[in-house]
Amino acid sequence: MAPVVDRLKKEYEGTVEFRLFNVDEDTEGQALMQQYGAQYVPTFVFVNADGTSAGQLVGEQSEEALRKQLDALN
Amino acid sequence: MNNQKVILWIIGAVVLVGLGTLLFTPKGGAGVVNVGDAKMQELVAQGVRVIDVRTSGEYEAGHIPGAENVPVNEFAQAAATWDLTQPVAVYCATGSRSASAVQTLEQLNFSQIYHLDAGMIAWTGEVERGTAVAAAPVVPATALDSPMLYEFYTDW
Repeated sequence: MAPVVDRLKKEYEGTVEFRLFNVDEDTEGQALMQQYGAQYVPTFVFVNADGTSAGQLVGEQSEEALRKQLDALN
Repeated sequence: MNNQKVILWIIGAVVLVGLGTLLFTPKGGAGVVNVGDAKMQELVAQGVRVIDVRTSGEYEAGHIPGAENVPVNEFAQAAATWDLTQPVAVYCATGSRSASAVQTLEQLNFSQIYHLDAGMIAWTGEVERGTAVAAAPVVPATALDSPMLYEFYTDW
């Protein structure tokens, strides 16, 4: 997943902020994972600019699936 | 004869020092016992306090029966209130987050620490599902600078 996510991160730079957390090491990530009720890893959580949740994708995802969610963010 | 007495005194002294070392182990920093699935099942059957340091979502999806959920980012604060003379067993998904919890217990001078170091993925016993002991707090939406994608992952 890393190459796909890296590619998308560059492509959406300035439009969507990407924050990646290794929850085995990152306490901020652990707290956010709990806040959003994410149960498994990897989980992708999409959040609109007004702070409302725009959905989650669980497990490895295709680039197309991630793009679809990213394009729906506002 | 005198030499034999000296030798006996020396042997006796060595034995006494050895026994003293074994019997009077310094307090604090007690050893951690890494356990496998079978030993963990024994500990659960004995009623040892078992702590699941994963998120509440992971806990609800399936946990060791009787385990309490204390996410690792809240662990130090919670553990400080526990009886450090009682045994505690900790686990997470793969052993990484629980290793951090074990260090916290050592620093707090817990005397009996058990660690399921391979994590929940090594557990073959019954699995309990359902409500976490402590529900995740409801956090109101907070405006951000831009839309956000969070990815939560581990190295395994």
